Amino acid sequence: MLIEVFQLLVFPGLFFAALIGFLYEGILRKLSAHMHNRIGPPVWQPVLDFFKLMMKESIRPGRATILFTLVPILAFSSVITVVFLVPIGGFHLIMFPGNLLIAIYLLILASLLYAIAGWASSSPFGSVGSIREITQLFAYEFPFIISLLTIGLLTQFTITPFLAWQFPLCMFAFLSSLQGKLALPPFHIPDAEQEIVAGPLTEYSGSRLALFHLARAIRLFVLISLGVVFLFGGGSLLLFFVKSLALLLVLTFIRAVFARIRIDQSLRLFWFIIGPLAVIDFVRVLAGIF
Amino acid sequence: MHDFHLPIGPQHPSIIEPMHLNLKIDGETVVGLDFSLGYNHRGIEKAFEGRPWMKCIYLSERVCGICSFHHQLCFTLGVEKLMGIKIPERAEYIRTIMAELERLHNHYLWLGLLAFEMGFDTLFHYLIRDREIVMELFEILCGNRVHYSINTIGGVRRDIDLEKAKMVEENLDALEERSRHYLKVFTSDSSILKRIRGIGLLPPKQARELNVVGPVARASGINYDIRNLGYLKYPELKFKPVTEEGCDILARTLVRIKETLESIRLVQDAVIEIPKGQIKARAPLNAPEGETTSRVEALRGELFYYILSGSGHPHRVKIRTPTYANMHCLEQILLGNQIADVPVDVMSLDPCWACCDRMTLTDTKTGRKRTVTKEELRRHAD
Repeated sequence: MLIEVFQLLVFPGLFFAALIGFLYEGILRKLSAHMHNRIGPPVWQPVLDFFKLMMKESIRPGRATILFTLVPILAFSSVITVVFLVPIGGFHLIMFPGNLLIAIYLLILASLLYAIAGWASSSPFGSVGSIREITQLFAYEFPFIISLLTIGLLTQFTITPFLAWQFPLCMFAFLSSLQGKLALPPFHIPDAEQEIVAGPLTEYSGSRLALFHLARAIRLFVLISLGVVFLFGGGSLLLFFVKSLALLLVLTFIRAVFARIRIDQSLRLFWFIIGPLAVIDFVRVLAGIF
Repeated sequence: MHDFHLPIGPQHPSIIEPMHLNLKIDGETVVGLDFSLGYNHRGIEKAFEGRPWMKCIYLSERVCGICSFHHQLCFTLGVEKLMGIKIPERAEYIRTIMAELERLHNHYLWLGLLAFEMGFDTLFHYLIRDREIVMELFEILCGNRVHYSINTIGGVRRDIDLEKAKMVEENLDALEERSRHYLKVFTSDSSILKRIRGIGLLPPKQARELNVVGPVARASGINYDIRNLGYLKYPELKFKPVTEEGCDILARTLVRIKETLESIRLVQDAVIEIPKGQIKARAPLNAPEGETTSRVEALRGELFYYILSGSGHPHRVKIRTPTYANMHCLEQILLGNQIADVPVDVMSLDPCWACCDRMTLTDTKTGRKRTVTKEELRRHAD
């Protein structure tokens, strides 16, 4: 019992996931700062930001509904549940056949909740951000799910270490849709600060915002872990982190070399280029040619 | 269905200057807009009145932080015309060098901000880094990075010696290479072109009707540049205006990048051709009664000063900044575009709202706005 509580709360559960998630975010910011030719914040800046936000007043807009408070909690719980499903460096918490489908579902739920946050805050920026988040969801989610299901077909829809070197198109589709799912440039359309301030999070402040930041950090950790385990073979704890950091470097590099594209361009890119590429590998697995 | 409005400004991360843009949107498309100015009225025109001429030079510089030299230049040219002073050749060359360096620094800043509006942070930081080359030159030439305070009535306050001239040449060689690089980047990078090609169209006919000025007009194929009229040393340096036919944001970008190349050439030629001699002519303390106008091609377009002199000091000074001329084409370039294009479109005009804020009063009790008429201002001034 005690061991299970420890596993849930400390390793590889909540504390570990949050810490590594924030660390990844810090590394992402530091790396992109160096790519921008500037110094950037210290690596632990997201942790400091989290504690600062926790101590700040959390303002609720007058016209906001009860969902405004509920959504950050739900978003946080949905991503933390995925942490328990992904084997991190060989440590399994929950393992049952078909857990990939649960993970996919919970990750979509996190994006949906993010969009609901915008509507619940009843602000024009939030609403536009929500519409964009949902539109974007339909764009990146298709190649993302198809690329995961391609491997899923071979592992009975269970998240187990798998090296997908035979499926380069599937890897490419996963990486591009990962960039979209994490709303990193060039797909940071839902929270484009030059257009709609902070998108769905515009009205959020204080502890509610901190919870959202925590959820996003954990989501970053979970998605990278999922990619490393499911496409790049996982491995021991050390190998796992080396692969994770390499994936993070790729994400940061893509982040640095593109301008933000428009929502219609994003849809066209995902549906007509990345989606079909993912489908090719999916059909190959179905037909048994690999 | 009721209308959905998206308010942009006066406080917004993208358009940091105080302007309120109320967009009526349908999905992602802009179907209507309304904008209001007047959040940053500072009463500068009023402050000119009754001040000594020498102090007014520094006041005119404070109209804008970016084109401060051109405001000062335009005011000084007007005052010199009133006083009937001929300024030395060397001072004119130094003024030309400063004016073109300022154009360089503004265009680099503008390119950086355009990249920022597109969400391209890397390019933004690179451009701001390269702008530092010009900023350092300013520090070398006049001791200040902003508000150079180099103009005075009758000439300039600081000379450019051989050592400084050499530094200017070396730094500008490095900058020229960067400009050529950015010309390549902005014409070949597909993710940039996706955001600026064919967006914010302003056809020549509309551009003429709306009386746009500066790089915006030149990007619509209208060769309207006050430097063609030949003030300072532009005729001697064989200034060639840059025009583009594209009418979109890409054309406005190309005009500005090519203008940086032209500015670099002008400065380098000026540094070589600069004659020896005085840098300042003796100027009287007071100007005779009378009125005059002066025009210069500021960084964003035509800048106009009207100066009415009376009883030894400025009686009325009227400033018309290029942003005021350009803002009327906002509707033309924004309608029908997407929300994502709005910041890029607005930035493509290179607006400086604080420069052009004047003449509007807002009653804080009722929120009612009214524009002050000329008669009221005259009564106010008396």
